[in-house]
Amino acid sequence: MSSEITVEEQQKMVGDFLEGLAKSFGLEASAENVSADDDSFEVNLVGDKTALGALIGPRGSHLVALHEVTKTMLQRRLPGANRARIRVDVAGFRQRRREILQAYVQELAKSVLGDGVEKGLETMNAADRKVVHDTANEIEGISTISVGDEPRRRVVLIPSKA
Amino acid sequence: MSEQEGTTAEEVLLYLIAQLVEHPDQVELEIEESDTKISLMAKVSSEDIGRVIGKRGRVANSIRTLVRAAAVKDGVEVEVDFSD
Repeated sequence: MSSEITVEEQQKMVGDFLEGLAKSFGLEASAENVSADDDSFEVNLVGDKTALGALIGPRGSHLVALHEVTKTMLQRRLPGANRARIRVDVAGFRQRRREILQAYVQELAKSVLGDGVEKGLETMNAADRKVVHDTANEIEGISTISVGDEPRRRVVLIPSKA
Repeated sequence: MSEQEGTTAEEVLLYLIAQLVEHPDQVELEIEESDTKISLMAKVSSEDIGRVIGKRGRVANSIRTLVRAAAVKDGVEVEVDFSD
């Protein structure tokens, strides 16, 4: 039974966990299910934006910690279960960053298509690189590679050979 | 819910630990206050110490980050350690 836990049930556990954490911070917040598919889901904690800043931190550093403890909580509660990949957001912070990154990649792809010269992005974490790969690979004539070793790994947009 | 008993930092630390351990009944918190900062020592069962520390201390560091964020609300600096 425990290995058959659904993505919806896992999403509920994560939502409850985040709401409980917000309460321990003395914050009123509610968990919103952003998306879910077969093997991943996203939960966004919404409430007073200024107060929720404590859970986002400088350049999202607290959000990284929040993701880590949330993932760990799920591992502890569901040992051996088929766990989904989780994405945790607070006040839509990640979502906004994702949109900005997508727009930037689209602009960069245009310039690669224009002059046929590959262009590299700055070093990024795996989650951001995935956004870059996914966005760029949807554009015809562009493909991507990752170069360098962690933590200095980065994506390069290259014109695909016709 | 009930009123908060400890500081925000203590509440957050206890909440996170309770969510991660097998034996929440064996969690104890030792608090040491000095003029400039508060030291929180979380004691958990020996079975659970690995759970709150994690690989290369990743879980412990994430807990520290969140507890320090909570301490900002209390207007203090906190140090968090774990033992069994």
